[in-house]
Amino acid sequence: MSYWRWSLTAVRQATKAAAVLAAVFLFIGVASVEAQKKFSRMYPGSNNVRIQLINRTGTVTVEGWNRSEISITAILEAPVANLEPQNQSGTIVINLVRDNQGRAEVGNVNFLIRVPVSAMVDIETKIGNLSVSNVSGGLVRARISSEGDITLTNIGSSAVSAENVIGDIFFDGVMQENGNYRFSSMRGNINLRIPFNSSFRLVATAPSTRNISMGPFGTGSLNYMGDGRRVVGKFGEGSATLSVTNQQGSITFLRR
Amino acid sequence: MDCISCKDHLSPFMDDDLEQTVAEQVREHLSACDDCALALEEIAAVLAACHESDPADASPPNADAMWLRISNVIDADIAEQERRRLAERTPPKRSWNFTFLQLASGFAAVVVISSLLTIVAIRNYLQPTGDDIYTRTKTEQTTIEKLLGRVGLIDSPEAARERQVREQQAAIDYWDQRVALRRSQWDKRTREAFDRNMQVIEQSLVQYRSNLKENPEDEISAEMLDAVMRDKMNLLRDFSDL
Ligand SMILES: [Zn+2]
Repeated sequence: MSYWRWSLTAVRQATKAAAVLAAVFLFIGVASVEAQKKFSRMYPGSNNVRIQLINRTGTVTVEGWNRSEISITAILEAPVANLEPQNQSGTIVINLVRDNQGRAEVGNVNFLIRVPVSAMVDIETKIGNLSVSNVSGGLVRARISSEGDITLTNIGSSAVSAENVIGDIFFDGVMQENGNYRFSSMRGNINLRIPFNSSFRLVATAPSTRNISMGPFGTGSLNYMGDGRRVVGKFGEGSATLSVTNQQGSITFLRR
Repeated sequence: MDCISCKDHLSPFMDDDLEQTVAEQVREHLSACDDCALALEEIAAVLAACHESDPADASPPNADAMWLRISNVIDADIAEQERRRLAERTPPKRSWNFTFLQLASGFAAVVVISSLLTIVAIRNYLQPTGDDIYTRTKTEQTTIEKLLGRVGLIDSPEAARERQVREQQAAIDYWDQRVALRRSQWDKRTREAFDRNMQVIEQSLVQYRSNLKENPEDEISAEMLDAVMRDKMNLLRDFSDL
């Protein structure tokens, strides 16, 4: 009997404790649901540093600056994502897909990353805008699995690729000798702003709209193919290659 | 599953001897790991080569003859690699290291081979780069492609095209299944974005298929159909790990 009474008291106390604990956890939970988190870190860099980022959702902005460090700041919206950048012998690797595998709900992560001008930039996201500016390293690669705009401004890299499904692509930059440039979208507008004296071989395909506006480059040696669905041309010596495909949108050339 | 465990399982995987769940883990690892998939591709290539060279020899009594042919294929290939290596001073390629028993048992399992070829196909579309095995030159072909080519699996452009479509469809089916498994866990926004983008892709596929029905010689539509199939696979693959 006394055993039972003791036991009942213990159960009652345990229940009370559990309720208090539950309330505390609930409070923490609510607090973290409402709070944004800010992540900020600096990494020592070198001239040929490389940043490799795979985001889930959110916006990514990469800017070149006149310093050798890499600065990463991120605003993590609730439910807050796990974010664990790694420095793998000169490459800063951020993989939010891997770091949050199996989680049903993960909030947006919005990045602002500053890199040396000579850095190689390789960024990817499932959903959201990507923008890169002021870099001239060996590589700029921006890929959106589904929808979002890609904006590449003041780029001097020799290998550039941008790819999305729904969204605009804008490139503003200088084409390097023997460089390789690829832009591909399903639906949206592709606008390319390059210097008039650029030297490249072009294959531009817009099968559905046939809207390929060569602008100031219309005077070059152009070849319209497949009832205007494709333009093939050579400008100057044509040492760089430029391939542009827009399945359901337009392609427009602008003078830089 | 890690690489060591995966490679340990390759042999029973070839023999279709693994439990469903383990086999699925192996398949999953293979779709993500270059190294293990390459090992498997090489085995698959030799098996396919042997099978295709003379199906009549598939029965065990001719095992000796079959082994001889396997050796010939491998020897020729190694000799060629060796020559190239000496000429170019490139590092040696991976050696063939699997047993005759594995070969013999795998040899009979045509079903397994075709599923391996599916994995090869999936891997052909893993990288979102523009080039593929049909536009690369002979010297750029990989070992598996040369082996497949030697036994007529890659021959005329028409056959290559048909095969490519089959492979793309197999790859799409594979990622489609994985997306179907994950989809219920996605939040509303992810589901809507996926559907919206897939719809845009499907529109283009319908358009190009109808163009090609009207005019089978329409090269731009054929090329674009291929590109959009690739886009579809990439969308599926990219959302399958969410
Ligand atoms: Zn592995």
